[in-house]
Amino acid sequence: MSTVAAPRRAVSRRHPASVAGRVLLWAWLLAALVPLVFMVSTSLKPSGIAKALPPKWLFTPTLEHYQSVLSGGAGTSVGFDRLLFNSFAVTVGSTLLTVVLAVPAAYALSMRSFGPRKGISSWILSTYMFPPIVAVIPIFVFAGKLGLVDKYPVLIVPYAAFNLPIAVWILRSSILQIPYEIQESAMVDGATRFVTLRRIILPLLVPSIATVAILSAILSWNEFLFALSLTRSAAKTSPVGIQEFTGMYGTDWGKLTAAATVIVAPILVMTLILRRRIVSGLTFGAVK
Amino acid sequence: MTSTHPDAGTTDTTSTSRPSSTQAPDGRKAPARDGRRGKAHRAGKIAPWALLSPAMTVLLLMTVAPAIYLVWSSLRNDTLLGAGGQFVGLRNYQDALTNPAVLKSLLITGAFVLVAVTVEMLLGLLLAVPLAAQSRSNNLAAALMLLPFAVTPAVSAMMFKELLNPNYGWIDYYMGALGLPAHVEWLSNSGTAWLALIGLDVWQWTPFVALILMAGMQSLPKEPLEAAAIDGASTWQSFRHITLPMLAPFLAIALTLRTIQAFKTFDAFKILTGGGPGASTEIINLGIYRVALQSFRIGAASALAMVLLILLSLLVPLLLRAVGRNADPEEA
Repeated sequence: MSTVAAPRRAVSRRHPASVAGRVLLWAWLLAALVPLVFMVSTSLKPSGIAKALPPKWLFTPTLEHYQSVLSGGAGTSVGFDRLLFNSFAVTVGSTLLTVVLAVPAAYALSMRSFGPRKGISSWILSTYMFPPIVAVIPIFVFAGKLGLVDKYPVLIVPYAAFNLPIAVWILRSSILQIPYEIQESAMVDGATRFVTLRRIILPLLVPSIATVAILSAILSWNEFLFALSLTRSAAKTSPVGIQEFTGMYGTDWGKLTAAATVIVAPILVMTLILRRRIVSGLTFGAVK
Repeated sequence: MTSTHPDAGTTDTTSTSRPSSTQAPDGRKAPARDGRRGKAHRAGKIAPWALLSPAMTVLLLMTVAPAIYLVWSSLRNDTLLGAGGQFVGLRNYQDALTNPAVLKSLLITGAFVLVAVTVEMLLGLLLAVPLAAQSRSNNLAAALMLLPFAVTPAVSAMMFKELLNPNYGWIDYYMGALGLPAHVEWLSNSGTAWLALIGLDVWQWTPFVALILMAGMQSLPKEPLEAAAIDGASTWQSFRHITLPMLAPFLAIALTLRTIQAFKTFDAFKILTGGGPGASTEIINLGIYRVALQSFRIGAASALAMVLLILLSLLVPLLLRAVGRNADPEEA
């Protein structure tokens, strides 16, 4: 078989369609990088040449914009350092909440003796359809009445809720992939469900919990609609605050792109760490 | 984590002896033993619900409770400015569904989803084919492919806005340099504004589709393709009649998830055009946001939100079929 397959592959890589495919792929990648190249390179340019046309490619990089943005000096009504801190606090809070809620739920939904597990799993998956704009109306009304507007929990709880379908499904299928005999033998020895979960399932679940945590963190860090609707200043997050860098009379590109790079960098790093797991996770594990 | 479970103390000792017992007797009723049967059986019924309840509470509170509130409030003319407060029956729905602006908004939402998702699916498939071949350069390509998809959507919208600036944006400059029309007021004409919005969505989300399809192609068995090659099938024939049909579940997953995500799009529109020029790019999400959070007409916004919710509910069976069935190891 290999003698047949090998020459075929050699031919097919030089096939015109295959060459065209690779040209398209690299052309796409090149074009797709333009906004990122713009963002990073402009953030390092000295103020004077940021908007120069044609764009300058040779310049002495400077960190002045990062310094000014991170010290909260310029641009936004709430200092950018404060916006970042809020984003961080909300992200950590909702990620922890997601994991704490999702692990026991996923374990319950993996119990074979639990009759309604399929129905409930499907229901949890179906909430992924629920558009956030629909939830934001009542949350806006009640948060106003309860004095919760502009406080962290008003973002943390909805973010956790919207991360739950993905989290529960990833964890549930990881638990189901653990050989059931391991759980059985523990329970034959008299271990309770709780002990089985803590001593046997949880240690085997660490990689999946890490995936869930990183995915939740990315989704919470990036969220815009709730942050825009439910915060004013004290809990405002960076994706909302970054809009303020565009002023009525033009935008300071250096500061805008430095702030943008700071927002994107941690997400970019986490995405690259997860690589394949991120796509698998965002498809609820349907794609391995 | 501290052991708060009532049984934890008594069973700790037994659980440590777990490796000694390797035989697994007929599984389903395993935990029940002699005198403990009744208790264990009851615990077996209650435990899953206890474990589920925190997550279910949060989910119900953030999805079902809002939906119930919306049904109620869509039948009233409440505003947050003090006026209204009466039951008005179906008037909000009647107003919404006879208002040409709302109907147009629904229509452009549908058109946006259709066009953006179609382009992403086609382009994603075209990119997945070369990407699926295993090679060292493709490892790099797959990593680069991820990048746009990792950018915070609000940030990518801001970057596109600056790149499209008619006076000093890069896109405009390089278009001019290539002899294409320069100084285009991208976001001031509805046609070019749509082009920008769809371009942004395609830029951000095509990688997601491409990577799903790439993973799909890499998971397909090689034998049918090899057999076809021996039988003299052309590259196109094997792609069309073997790869594509086998890829169907992955195409369904990508299509379903992208459609749902596209209906939820908000950031890009809010930042790039704000629904303008005029109301030409005001998709229903922006419309709901404006009526609820800027005009504070909660009743009217609730009716609009209900319409969107009902429309999106139609996608649930698709989600359960395409994603749920493939993601569930119990189905395998």
